[in-house]
Amino acid sequence: MKRRQVIIGWLFVLPFVLVVFFFLVLPLIYAGYLSSQADSLVGGQHFVGLTNYIDTFKDPLFLEGLKRVAIYAAISIPIMISVSLTAALTIDVIQTRLARVFRLIAFMPYAVPGVVAALMWGFLYSQQFGPIYWVAKRLGYPNLDMFAPNVFIYSISGIAFWAWTGYNMIVLYSALQGISREIYEAAIVDGASQKQIAWRIKIPAIKGAIVLTVLFSLIGSMQLFTEPRILSRYTNAVTLGYTPNIYAFNLAFNQSQFNYSAAVSFALGLIVLVVSYGFLLRSRRMADK
Amino acid sequence: MSLKTPFKRASKGQKSLVVPSSKTANTLMIVGIGYFMMPLIWVMLASTKSKPDLFSTFSLWFGHSFKLFANLHSLFTQDGGLYLIWIKNTAIYSITSAIGATLISAMAGYSLARFKFKGVVFLESMVLGLIMVPATALVMPLYLMLSKVNVVNTPWAVILPSLLNPFAAFLIRVYVLESIPEELIQAARIDRAGEFRIFWQIVLPMLRPALVTVFLFSLVASWNNFFLPLVMLSDNHLYPVTVGLQAWFAQASQESGNSVLYNLVITGALVAVLPLITSFLFLQRYWRGGINAGAVK
Amino acid sequence: MQKTLRSGSFKKATAIFTTAAVAALMGTFGVSAPAHAASAVHVKVWAWYPNFKEVVAKYNATHTDIQIDWTNAGAGGDEYTKLKTCIKAKSGCPDVAMIEFQTLPTFSILNPFVDMGKYGASNADGRYAGWAWAQATSGKVVNAIPVDGGPMAMLYRKDLFAANNIKVPTTWAEYASAAAAIHKLDANQYIATYGNDPGWATGLMWQGGCLPYKYNGTAAKATVGINLNQASCKKVLSYWGDLVSQGLVDTKPFFSTDAGADFDTGKYWTWVAAGWTPGYLSGVLKTTTGKWAVAPTPQWTAGADAQGDWGGSSFTVMNQTKHPKEATSVAMNLYPPQKTIDAGSPWDIGLNSAFLYPLVTGVESNAAFVNHTYPVFADQQPNPIYIHASKKLGAFQWTPFQDFIYSTLHDETAQAIAKKEPWASVLDNVQTKAVAYAKKQGFKVTA
Repeated sequence: MKRRQVIIGWLFVLPFVLVVFFFLVLPLIYAGYLSSQADSLVGGQHFVGLTNYIDTFKDPLFLEGLKRVAIYAAISIPIMISVSLTAALTIDVIQTRLARVFRLIAFMPYAVPGVVAALMWGFLYSQQFGPIYWVAKRLGYPNLDMFAPNVFIYSISGIAFWAWTGYNMIVLYSALQGISREIYEAAIVDGASQKQIAWRIKIPAIKGAIVLTVLFSLIGSMQLFTEPRILSRYTNAVTLGYTPNIYAFNLAFNQSQFNYSAAVSFALGLIVLVVSYGFLLRSRRMADK
Repeated sequence: MSLKTPFKRASKGQKSLVVPSSKTANTLMIVGIGYFMMPLIWVMLASTKSKPDLFSTFSLWFGHSFKLFANLHSLFTQDGGLYLIWIKNTAIYSITSAIGATLISAMAGYSLARFKFKGVVFLESMVLGLIMVPATALVMPLYLMLSKVNVVNTPWAVILPSLLNPFAAFLIRVYVLESIPEELIQAARIDRAGEFRIFWQIVLPMLRPALVTVFLFSLVASWNNFFLPLVMLSDNHLYPVTVGLQAWFAQASQESGNSVLYNLVITGALVAVLPLITSFLFLQRYWRGGINAGAVK
Repeated sequence: MQKTLRSGSFKKATAIFTTAAVAALMGTFGVSAPAHAASAVHVKVWAWYPNFKEVVAKYNATHTDIQIDWTNAGAGGDEYTKLKTCIKAKSGCPDVAMIEFQTLPTFSILNPFVDMGKYGASNADGRYAGWAWAQATSGKVVNAIPVDGGPMAMLYRKDLFAANNIKVPTTWAEYASAAAAIHKLDANQYIATYGNDPGWATGLMWQGGCLPYKYNGTAAKATVGINLNQASCKKVLSYWGDLVSQGLVDTKPFFSTDAGADFDTGKYWTWVAAGWTPGYLSGVLKTTTGKWAVAPTPQWTAGADAQGDWGGSSFTVMNQTKHPKEATSVAMNLYPPQKTIDAGSPWDIGLNSAFLYPLVTGVESNAAFVNHTYPVFADQQPNPIYIHASKKLGAFQWTPFQDFIYSTLHDETAQAIAKKEPWASVLDNVQTKAVAYAKKQGFKVTA
């Protein structure tokens, strides 16, 4: 009986295991193998061990892209998460119809494909017929160019902000709704203000959800690809190694350097892993204090 | 990071904390609504414009003429009705892979919750691990592998990899643990019901809310997917709408020619987002269910 | 989430999804190819000129032995991405693929081509412009059939130059003074934009006598010459760098919606561009059609006659094909030489809709082509200017990693535009990086 149970249990997981094996494990092993080989245009393929990885971490294009996404994350995530959190705290206590509509509308960009969002914002940022430039011009900034190389990264942040603030807000809002009322009661009896309740009770209570939204945004930022790639025609900013993911893509699919590309994308994955766990450990340690 | 009680309803009694809205809050929310709506309003207005109006009239108001139907007509007839084929492809790819992913995850999640064997820790770490793998690290080797079995440039190259959804299995497992009593399964076993019959006739119906949530999220994920089909497909009759629109956009900027491709890209964008936004509006509680689950992690 | 949800919208949605899913699963994938005579050989072609749709339709209607299945797999780089993956995967390539001249060696080093010389193309040498045929072949090996070229000339706003009494420049020195005069008239107007297109910059350098690359894939596959920091190349780039630094030339990238509109609003007065550029322009212009004219590219030395080329494409046959003979025939005859430009013929479509400059010999004596007029240029007959430019183009070679050089040139120029590095060091940096890259790829590098 016991053994039969195990067999049946495995039968249920089998399709899942097969999918995981063929579409996750095997490709990663294959990519790992590729990254240990070198293949030059003249000379053919041969084993090089970790050379590709050593090259990656010395490659100025890779490091430059990495630095760019790090700065991008450092600027855009705090802004986005604090706006999301403020909005979530607000709609948590204000339950008017307007708040419900706001909640719904803010989440809507989640249903818009990244490609379509990038295309739309590409038009909205236009100097010829975009509303942003129209406003800027009337405010006295006729030279605003959202596609100028030093501005473009903020334009990308703008798209990400539009796309993900509502989503993060809903995640945080759902967590707020999950706090049980007993926790508040003492505070209310003590006559604490909404602000105090938010700071002292609510935010600590949904810390896990906040950490999660930051973590997901962090991972997403470091893997930045679609928006700069789609809008690359509009700007001089998007270079060969603009972001590590764009670099890996260009290496493989434009320069036929599949081996080096595998190493670059693995190196990126490794850095994302280290940063994510570093962040988790840090936030856990801060919670312990 | 452990999951607890994701599918529980918010506790009652929030009423005591509800405060009347302030003027500031109302203003900010109205501004917020305007901000989040702006691109969608823009795309709606722009799809009513003629090509000259698109480039010359103020972007957040109507143009000199109302060309929505003309634009829709050319959208659906351009290149022999290619856009309709893209929409059809998108629907086929995303519905097929969402159904597949849901079913596979349901079986796996149920099994991991109810049959005692190791693998749960593996699943949890995989959920987080998978989102950390850069798309290129996965898609590039996958392309080379699938091309060896002649699957590249077929719908399967997009559908099969999309069946992978550890997060869904993870959600279902939690749901099973919370809402399907062990005793119920034991009772059915005593009645000598087969394990597959128990799953099909007892477990699946009880899982329905979780299934819908998982289905919706898988659907959105593959509906919005860009990178995988971009790499896998080269025949433009096989493109989903995301890759197709990108191709038209690229063509519009390089080969402006005499065509009205910009209008088509804009009208096409509108038509492409409508199904998801509509389903989102009608099925909002299910979205929130999934988000709840994600939130408590 | 509620467990006992039975709302009407949910049921309805489930029903819709189920129906759609069943329909989807039962439906067949993809589209079936149109039915043709069973005997016809189907040749898969990847080409990105939108107007080729009609050219292909014409071909299919007039051929029974061969039928073309045409796919627009993306323009330029987008298509190359797909080609490189299918070459690497050893499957999935089309029979015939459109490839630009500068990218031919980049592909041919991957050995993806059929030598069309073996299938009837070896006698085609007299048929095409010498410079184009030289780039399409390697010794006796025929890698490509030329389709269209991009001999360069200056497009300019005839009306604006006349109205403001500014001389239409014939030398680059005059071009620079015109640039200053135009910007002085209106701070929001420029003689041009430096679109940072590496192919365009290469064409301008070509015209300045800069021939930086040496490569012969058959004689010495592993030896490549790169000499980008020679004086004739640097001269051209510093000239434009000066204009950009002084703010006399704008820096908006070509082909963006904004730059397109700027050509129509009078913000840009000229564009030294390729033979196919008027095709792009005619799609962008709404109010200034007919106000443009063509003049020869300004010269570095007054009275000289140096010319450059920007882009141009060819048909190649991929060796994954099962029908090399038929594919070669398609490559040669899809856009063939014509004596007259009959309505609906490939040239009618190619010239009037796409502005493809044909690379066949004898165009100079083809009256229909010489006298052809286009709405963008009102009553001017611009083709003699392009014919002359094409004739004057000498030999030009490319490296087998031109994509890398182009993206490096783009990125370094972008740095210079953003004032993060001096214009003078752009070509030095590209040279250093290109040499390093070549060596890493196993090449012996000569000057």
